[in-house]
Amino acid sequence: MLKLEYSLWFGKFINGRVEKSDNLKKSFIESYNPDPLPFSVYVVGKEIFGNDYYNILRKVALEISEEMIEKELKREDRYVISLVRALDEITSTANLLDERLRELREIKNSELVERFEEKILELKNLRGDIEKEIDSVMRKIAPNLSEIVGEKIGARLLEKAGSLEKLANYPSSTVQVIGAEKSLFKALSRIRKGKKARVPKHGVIFQHPFIKSLPKKKRGKMARFIANKIAIAVKIDYFRGELNETLSEEVRQKYEQLSRG
Amino acid sequence: MNSFQGVEVIHNVIKTEIDGKIRLFTRSAYPPHYGEKKIGEYREWLPYRSKLASIILSGFIPNIKRDTRLLYLGAATGTTASHVSDILDRGVLYAVEYSPKPFQKFLRLAMERKNIIPILADAGNPESYSGIVEKVDFIYQDIAQRNQVEIFIRNFEFFGKSGSEGIVCIKAKSIDSTAEPDELYRKVIESLESKFEIMGRGDLEPYHRDHTFISVRWRG
Repeated sequence: MLKLEYSLWFGKFINGRVEKSDNLKKSFIESYNPDPLPFSVYVVGKEIFGNDYYNILRKVALEISEEMIEKELKREDRYVISLVRALDEITSTANLLDERLRELREIKNSELVERFEEKILELKNLRGDIEKEIDSVMRKIAPNLSEIVGEKIGARLLEKAGSLEKLANYPSSTVQVIGAEKSLFKALSRIRKGKKARVPKHGVIFQHPFIKSLPKKKRGKMARFIANKIAIAVKIDYFRGELNETLSEEVRQKYEQLSRG
Repeated sequence: MNSFQGVEVIHNVIKTEIDGKIRLFTRSAYPPHYGEKKIGEYREWLPYRSKLASIILSGFIPNIKRDTRLLYLGAATGTTASHVSDILDRGVLYAVEYSPKPFQKFLRLAMERKNIIPILADAGNPESYSGIVEKVDFIYQDIAQRNQVEIFIRNFEFFGKSGSEGIVCIKAKSIDSTAEPDELYRKVIESLESKFEIMGRGDLEPYHRDHTFISVRWRG
């Protein structure tokens, strides 16, 4: 016989009977069901809690929310940063292993070589999964930044800065050249010696299609503009966290204006 | 002297004219939440801040009553939710939000209001709160995501009952930034029609640019 079991916030519902949980917080978090319930949770819960149903539900929901917020806020930016670094390492490792595989192939095609290839493929799949995870977390902790430059570049900026707090405190001129430190300091030291030097126009944000696709002469202008908007966006992300849709719109308009004229 | 001789368009929602301007208020026992004015026991409901307020000012009256059980997807910091909570003085407001940062502010609201059940979860994953939210009378969705229409439908599959109504706020640019908005809205409505009866649609100009809302009734 088919066993009908549902997870509710106050316990399990098995074949029409309720097994009340003795730890409401735990059952609240675990109340996952792959399909819609054929009944309303309230109807079942009211038989147990009576008129206190909503009071108890609300109390548990508030407690859980508080705990989750604290946990999420503390860790998420560090999580992204580690993921970005892991991603880089996997990429370079996969490339190295690819080389080795090619070499092996030329010598002999054995079962071992095939297993080797499988493992590399697995590694590449893992890379895809990590990218997805970065995207999803970035959307959550830095929606404005992600909206303007995309999750990938946003995560890269975050990694270079070290934390969302630090990135939020950067002026836009710093944001503009994050990732181009080497050429920036080289240029600065030349200037200090009184020589001619060219200061970099862009760092990590060069990867943004709006900058890459413009002719060289206009890239500086676009980079400056995007960096401005990023600096504002990260501040909103860090202090308020709500999506402000006008920023990315302004960036697009600027791009259209530059690519036309 | 009663300065509120306006029309009560929804329970506790008063539309009135002050200095030649139509303005919206909700009767509220609670202090301001997002910097809005409070005159007597009325909190002003600002259409530039809240899409639902701009929908009501556009002349569409959503079917929300004082005892409605409402699921709110994308509650953010609770600007709109605070007014919905004023309306539902005998109802329940289940508020789902994914981002922890705005939710922090929302939680302050949830603590003072007895009718709010806060849920920190991804609205695209109704499975994760399927054992918490009951079958509701109304689903309101304001999330700017590419697959927001799909998310809206999935939440109705989980929490709708026959006759449940809902409103989805859509920003054309966040679904497809290159498509012509009118064409896109037409497609969205087409995809909704198989599951819903379409009750109305309107733009949110001049308060929110490039936004539209669609009001629906679930066929169940």
